[in-house]
Parts: sequence; C-alpha cells; structure tokens
Amino acid sequence: MRKLFYPKLAASNIIKNRKTYVPYIITCVITISMYYILRSLTMNEGINSMMGDASIFYMLTLGCRVIAIFAVIFLFYTNSFLMKRRKKEFGLFNILGMEKKHLGRVIALEALYIAAGSIVLGIAFGIILDKVMYMLLMKLMGYKVPLGFYISGKVMLTTIELFAAIFLLIFIYSLLQVQLAKPIELLKGGNVGEKEPKAKWLMAILGVLCLAGGYYIAVTTKNPIAAILLFFVAVILVIIGTYMLFTAGSIVLLKILRKNKRYYYKAKHFISISGMLYRMKQNAAGLATVCILSTMVLVMVSSTSSMMIGIESVLSERLPYDMTVYMNYDSSYEEGAEQSRKLRGAIENALDEKGIQARNQIGYTYLAFAGLRDKDTFLVDSSVNDMGTGDTCNLFFGTLDEYNAMTGADKMLAADEMMIVGNRKEYDYDEINLFDKTYQITEKLEEFPGNGVIASNGASSYYIVVKDSQVIEELYQLQKEAYDSEASSIRYCYGFDVDLNHDGQIELYGNLYDVAAENGVSASIESKADMGYSIKSMYVGFFFLGTYLGVLFVMATVLIIYYKQISEGYDDKERFEIMQKVGMSHEEVRRSIRSQILTVFFLPLIMAGIHIAFAFPIIKEILVVLNLTDTTLYIMCTIGCFAIFSAMYAVIYGLTAKAYYRIVKR
Amino acid sequence: MAILDVKGLKKIYTTRLGGNQVQALSSVSLSVEKGEYVAIMGESGSGKTTLLNILAALDKPTGGEVILDGKSIWKVKEKEMSAFRRDNLGFVFQDFNLLDTFTLQDNIFLPLVLAGKDFPEMDQRLKPLAAKLGIQDILKKYPYEVSGGQKQRAAIARALITQPKLVLADEPTGALDSRAADGFLKLFNEINEDGQTILMVTHSAKAASHAGRVMFIKDGEVFHQIYRGNSSNKDMYRKISDTLTLLATGGEDNA
Repeated sequence: MRKLFYPKLAASNIIKNRKTYVPYIITCVITISMYYILRSLTMNEGINSMMGDASIFYMLTLGCRVIAIFAVIFLFYTNSFLMKRRKKEFGLFNILGMEKKHLGRVIALEALYIAAGSIVLGIAFGIILDKVMYMLLMKLMGYKVPLGFYISGKVMLTTIELFAAIFLLIFIYSLLQVQLAKPIELLKGGNVGEKEPKAKWLMAILGVLCLAGGYYIAVTTKNPIAAILLFFVAVILVIIGTYMLFTAGSIVLLKILRKNKRYYYKAKHFISISGMLYRMKQNAAGLATVCILSTMVLVMVSSTSSMMIGIESVLSERLPYDMTVYMNYDSSYEEGAEQSRKLRGAIENALDEKGIQARNQIGYTYLAFAGLRDKDTFLVDSSVNDMGTGDTCNLFFGTLDEYNAMTGADKMLAADEMMIVGNRKEYDYDEINLFDKTYQITEKLEEFPGNGVIASNGASSYYIVVKDSQVIEELYQLQKEAYDSEASSIRYCYGFDVDLNHDGQIELYGNLYDVAAENGVSASIESKADMGYSIKSMYVGFFFLGTYLGVLFVMATVLIIYYKQISEGYDDKERFEIMQKVGMSHEEVRRSIRSQILTVFFLPLIMAGIHIAFAFPIIKEILVVLNLTDTTLYIMCTIGCFAIFSAMYAVIYGLTAKAYYRIVKR
Repeated sequence: MAILDVKGLKKIYTTRLGGNQVQALSSVSLSVEKGEYVAIMGESGSGKTTLLNILAALDKPTGGEVILDGKSIWKVKEKEMSAFRRDNLGFVFQDFNLLDTFTLQDNIFLPLVLAGKDFPEMDQRLKPLAAKLGIQDILKKYPYEVSGGQKQRAAIARALITQPKLVLADEPTGALDSRAADGFLKLFNEINEDGQTILMVTHSAKAASHAGRVMFIKDGEVFHQIYRGNSSNKDMYRKISDTLTLLATGGEDNA
C-alpha cells in the first residue's frame, strides 16, 4: 500500500491537471512522431535510390535538426508554464508535510509517465504516418510506392535517445525550481509578477532599430546572390526586433497613451490600457513567439507552395528544350563556328540514323559575361565577380544574322547599334555604355531566346543583338582583359525537342555525349528528363519540408495561445468580480475584456502581416535564384496563405476563448 | 425621511441539485434615516452578507422590497442596474477589492470613468477627498505598494467619490490591524458627521460601537437594536457586548 503511494499520487496529479496536461502530452506526441517520420524518411532506401540527387536528403536532415531544436525550446516553454501553474499545489504538499525529496519523487514519477507515454505513442503514430508521408512524397514526385511498412530500429533508437534527453533536462529544471523555492514562495507561485512593468526606452528604441534594419535589408537588397546571405541577417534582426518591441515597445507605447489624460480617462480606454499594460509584461515573450512562428509558417508555406505550383514554368525556363548542347569556342571565332557546325551536323546525322525527329531546333552563338550596371553604363572589371551587392547583370550577346535566322525577321544594325531585351527587368535607356564605347539602342525586343544556362543565373540578364561576329569578338577580347582567368568564352547553344519517353531521352542523352566525343568536341549537354528530375526533387523537397514544418509551427502557435488564454482566465477572474462590484455591468465587463484579448490576440497576426510585406522583396530575389521568377504567382500564394492562416487563427481564437470564459464565469 | 426602507425581506437558497432549501433571511424589515450610521451585527451564518448583497443589488430577494430614496431597487431594469448601483451606492469591502492593474488614483476614478466624467471634474472631486483621507501623497502608487490601512482609505475614497446616497461597508476592519482599524473607524465617524449615510455589516463589537445605531440579526431576522443616544463609545461597546452575550447564551429564552 505504502509502496504505491507515490506512483498513485503522481498519476492522480496528472489526471487532476488534465486541462493543462492533455495539450502538453498531445504536443509531445506530435513533436515526437514528426521527428520520427522525418528521420525515417532520411533513412528510407526508396527515397535514396529514387532520388538520385542528394538535395532532398540534405533537406530532410536539416528538417530533423530544426525539429530537434524546436522540441527543446518549445517543450521547455510549455513545461515551465505548467510548473508555474502547479507551484501552489507543490507548496501545499510541502506545508502538509511532504519533504522536498518526496516532492522530487512525485515530480520524477510524473515526468516518467509523461515521457514514457509520449515516446511510445509518438513512435506508434510515427510508424503509421511514416508510410502516409512516404506515399505523399512519392506522389509529389510522380512515383508509385510499394505497399508495406518500413520500420527502422535505428530511427526509433535515435528518436528515443533525443527525447529521453529532452525530458530529462525538463525534469531536472522542474526539480531545481521546486528545490530552490521556499514553501511560501511556492504557495504564491501563481501570483508573482504583479508589479507595474517599467518602461524600457533603450530596449524599445533598439527593437525599432533592429526591425528597421531588417526591413531595410529586405527592401533594398536587389542582388539575388547577396539576398540569400543577407536574408539570414535580416531574419535575425527581425526576430530580435520583434522580441524587443513586444517586451519593451508595447509598454512604452501604452505608457505614453496613459499619460494623455483626455484619452486615458475614457471608459473604453481606461480598462483596456491598464489591462494590456499588465498583460503585456506577462505575455510579451509569448506574443512575440506567436508572431515569429506565424511569420515563419507564412513565409515557408507561401514560398514553397508557389515553387510547387510554378514548377512547370520553372522547368520550361531552365530547360527550354528536351536536349540542349553547349559548346565552348576554345580558339578563334571562325574555328569555333566551324566546329559547332560540325557537331551540330554529327548530332543531326546520329538522330537520323536512329529515326528520331528533332523538333523546334535552335542554334546560335553567344557571349555572356557579367557587368555591374549603373543606369545605362555597365562596369566590367574583375571586382564585379567578387562583390555580392549592387546591380550585377548578365550581358548576353548574339549576332544579327543568327537573330534574323531564328526569328525570321529582317532587321538591320550598324556597328555601334544594338537591340536589347531583359529576361527579368526591362532596360529603360536608349544607350549602352560599355568599355568606354557608346552604343545606340535601336529597338527593345520582345522575346528572349531560350537558354537554360542564362536562365539559371540568379542575376537578371540582358540579351543584346549586335551587328556581327566582329563586334562579339571585340567584346570577347575586352572582357578577357578585364576578367583574365575568369573570363567567359564564346559559346554555341544548340537545342531541340524529341518525341521520346523518359527512358528514351535518358538513353539519347548518353548517346549525344558519345557523338561529341567521337567528333573530338568537348560539349556540355543538358537533358530535360535528367536534370528536370533533380530540379523537381529539390522543389518537392522544399515544399514537403515547408508544409511539414509549417504544420509543426502552427501546432506550437495553437498551444501557446491556448495556455495564454487559460492563464489569463485565472488572472481575470478576480478582476472581473471586482469590476462588477464597483459598478460595471456584466455585459460591460465582458465587452471590455473581450476587446482587450482581441487586441492582444490579433496583434501578433498583424505584426506577422507587416513582416511578410517587408520580407516580400527579398524572398522574391531568393526565389529568382531558385529559378522561380513568377512574382505574381508568389503574391497570390502569399495572399492565399495569409487568408487561410488568418481564418485558422480566428477559429483557434474562438475555441480557446471558450476555455477562457468557462474559467472566468466560475 | 428614510433613505433606505427594507420591508419583509426574504431569501431562500436552493442547493444546486434541487432538494434542500436553506432560508438565509426569513423576514427582515429595517429603515435607515438620511445621515444615519447604522451597524448590523450577527454571527457567521446569521444572514448578514446575504442582506448586504441584496441591499447592494448584487442578489435578488425571494420576497420583500428594498426602497432606496423612494425608489424600489428591484424595479430598476437589469441594464440600468449597474449604473444605478454606481450612482447611488458606495462600497467598502473587507478585502478592499482594489484592482492591481491601477494606481490608487485610477482605482478611485474607476466609477467616475465608467460614468463618463471628464478628467478635470474627477480631479476636482478627488483633491479634497484625498486630503481628508490623508492619501494625497500615495495616489500614484499601486495597491501592492501600500499598507492595508492605506488601501482601505483608497477604497473609501472610491466609495465616496460618486457622492452616493448610501455607503455600504462589509466588514471593513476585518483585514486591518488594530491601529489601522482605529484610524479607519475615526474616519468613518468624520464622514458620517459630514452627512454621509452609512450602513456597515460587521461582527466586531468595537467597529459597531462607533455607529449611531446597532442592529442584531439572528436566524435571518432583526433580533434587537441599540440606539446610541448620548452614550459614549465605551458605553456603546458594553451594551453591544451584553447583547452579544445574550445572543450567544440563548437569548430567545430570556427575551
């Protein structure tokens, strides 16, 4: 009987506190199963063999790390909330004669139950859902999956190890909190922190500066390559800024409002300002976290889903033809042209022999090199390649003859005249200054020739038609002097479509290399079947991970909001009664508290909306690096995601508000 | 003229699961004159708090009538009840009931803000009141920063700032030490001398001895009452003690 006292007490404690413990356990179970699933997918042989590319593997591994870090922070946070609520209970046990070591025993047993229960359930759900996720991933890639479960002992072991360690840390932390406190402090535990928050001006200003800095980077960075690096700087600045602004800025603002007597002493503002002032201090960190999580969810889901939706257009831009052959001119223009004609002829012959018809053929010579644009002047010098900032552009030259041949047009140009078209940005000037020479723009073209290599360049490119090969050769020499060993060569691009299935195309892709080798020409060949597949797998990986982590973060958001409402309910209960006694009607009290919660509740969402609006330019640049240039699509996805998220947020509010009113109403 | 008239007040509580009925007030009739200071005494469970809650319009009686300044308070519409309570009644509670989120000043202003008064008027009302109650230096402090006596003074200021017809006090010295309680009772006497009508519920003989009239409630009825007349606080205290002894030792047989 006596032996079972502590195990029974621990079990009944959890059951008694089920209102707060059940959500906590559910969170633990979900986090564990999500970790298990992702870990299992990284080990999945099917995925590794089918996705020749390692990019999806790295992405999933990265996702595992994110979940692990998230689990540590988040489970600590929720547990500390639970412990704070329960301090009174422990204080009572302590006063009733339980020693600290006995309390320790109870806490240890509770922790054990929760850890064991969540790990077992988490892995069980993980095993079941693992298959579903695997099928989903394969379906996104366009594959069928064999039936049967894939269970890995190794994955299970790593999951158990990780979460056992996290639960142990949480237990030690709870134990320390109880051990270090005096009984009377424990009894008061739920009520500490009622002091008026101080206005921290410095912190508020720093917060505003951090946020402004982050926003500035996001808005002004025009270079996609720099964008990727600066994005993380901006993200960190915005996160720091958000925390500071919520903790200090909100209090400073409310205090300023309170100083304005005419505004403050109005029935509507009086109660809500003082209430929010009081509430902000307790909840600032929680609100900032909700804001950051919402922003992350929105950014991840909207960008990755726009990638998923835009995948076909990306493929057609990056790989405009089923087969594309690129060949470098190693020597003079004439010799190069001679060789390219030879290669093209050999390829055409080989296709004829196999009875394969090449459609939509295109072939042209071009020179492409980088330049730093300043209005209508392009600076070409070796510093351009090194620096990440500024408006770095790709200049892509072709001859008039080939242009006319490709388009069937009959245009004329003089030696100092050019025609231009940009693939991502319009060219707004009438002249081009290049290597101390000025060229007149006679015409802005409509169409940009298909060139996957150019398209894959993150910087924006300008296709420029010049009079003849002589101009190209001049430019070639000049950029060679400027860039030295990093200079570009003149290249030949030959693309065509074929009527072959996936395997046939892969086979042909191999054959073309042989043809090039037989003719003694070194060429690089891109096949849509081969390369498109790895691009797709990268996109699918991003999308899968984005939504997966999105779900996890939404769950975290829900839980934080739920706990916030509950703790506010307990706080407000007393205030609610006093206000009624002093002469507020039931309805007035309800309305005032409701508007207060509503403000506090939707503040993070509004802030997240602002973050996303400012993040838009830089994310657009990053998507360009990933070949996604369809800005409208991204805007639509972002708006859609924000609308769905807001609706979901409102539903969460409605549900948790019910829990709140149940507490307040007695 | 009676400012408060209570006629045949009756309150029966029914326990939640139906069944048992508990009679808290059987038939209470009393009247309070304008400018009077009345104390109501009784043991725990005698119905004091029920009576006060009904007088404060926080609870509905099962039967009987409460007339404040010629108006039956249960005729006031539910919607206007809060405003009615705010304008006509002032409350002083045992545990002060000050909001932790407000400074003392803002706590005192609360009923006025709810009534839609503007700041200059509120300030004008507060100044003499704060000076009288000796709290002018601590108005900017928060409830948790001041002593119990100071909190109770702030609570009095909050009750008086609306210039109510009647101040209801529920065990106001219950949470104060003896020195603070003495100060409080002296203050209440001064306020009464200025013409404020006060009804106080207490089971402290000392607190009651400051009142002009003391009523005793037992088993839901007014059992006895003592008028001060010209007697001193000490005499009052003795009379109250005698009555309490009588009540405790089975007054019904001797009455």
